Amino acid sequence: MIALTALTRLGDVVVAASKIDDGSEAGDGFSVVETLFWFVGVPGALFVGIVVLVSVATTARGPRYRPGLGWWAAPIWFNGPESADTAVRTAVPTSGGGGASARW
Amino acid sequence: MPAGDAFSPRQQEDVVRAIRLARQQSQLPVSVYVGTLEGDSRAMAQQLHGALGADAAASVLVAVDPGARRVEIVTGSEVRRRLDDRAAGLAAMTMTSAFQGGDLSGGIANGVLALAEHAQAPRSRHTDTP
Repeated sequence: MIALTALTRLGDVVVAASKIDDGSEAGDGFSVVETLFWFVGVPGALFVGIVVLVSVATTARGPRYRPGLGWWAAPIWFNGPESADTAVRTAVPTSGGGGASARW
Repeated sequence: MPAGDAFSPRQQEDVVRAIRLARQQSQLPVSVYVGTLEGDSRAMAQQLHGALGADAAASVLVAVDPGARRVEIVTGSEVRRRLDDRAAGLAAMTMTSAFQGGDLSGGIANGVLALAEHAQAPRSRHTDTP
């Protein structure tokens, strides 16, 4: 009786071993084009997409001043005199006025 | 900050709107210069204020040098009567606190509005109605 049970178990084991597990057999390999698409094209497209999203947001916000990194933009004068260069060159500095100075 | 325009059109509009409000609400002509103040920044700002010509005595000049991190407010001899140096100092502090955070146009707009708030409208001494 015991021997019969052992034989049945052995038969089950043999049958189980002969089956192939899911995923244990490799499928068809990628072609060169597919490999380039999945491992170069898709990451590259993601990279470009993120860069475009970030730069669009930055451009929409306008140039940003960063204290300590210097200033290279052209001077701008709101509500200033006509032909500012001439006006400044020929101007008499204000005296008798007041005001304030500050640093940051 | 790349070479080119200091402000986007929207940022420029913010500054222009603040200058317009100062003129409408307090009859305060404000001129704003953003650029390098070479040499003695105070003397340069006074030179720029003088360049406003006949309007200079009644005008306020706000000169901002983002590279040297300096702001100069120059008030003309007439406008100084209604906008004292203490008020100008408070407006300068309003601006510098925004500049530290990198907000140049917002700081200028708030500073101009602070100047307008402190400047009382000139009282008319001659009115037809009592």
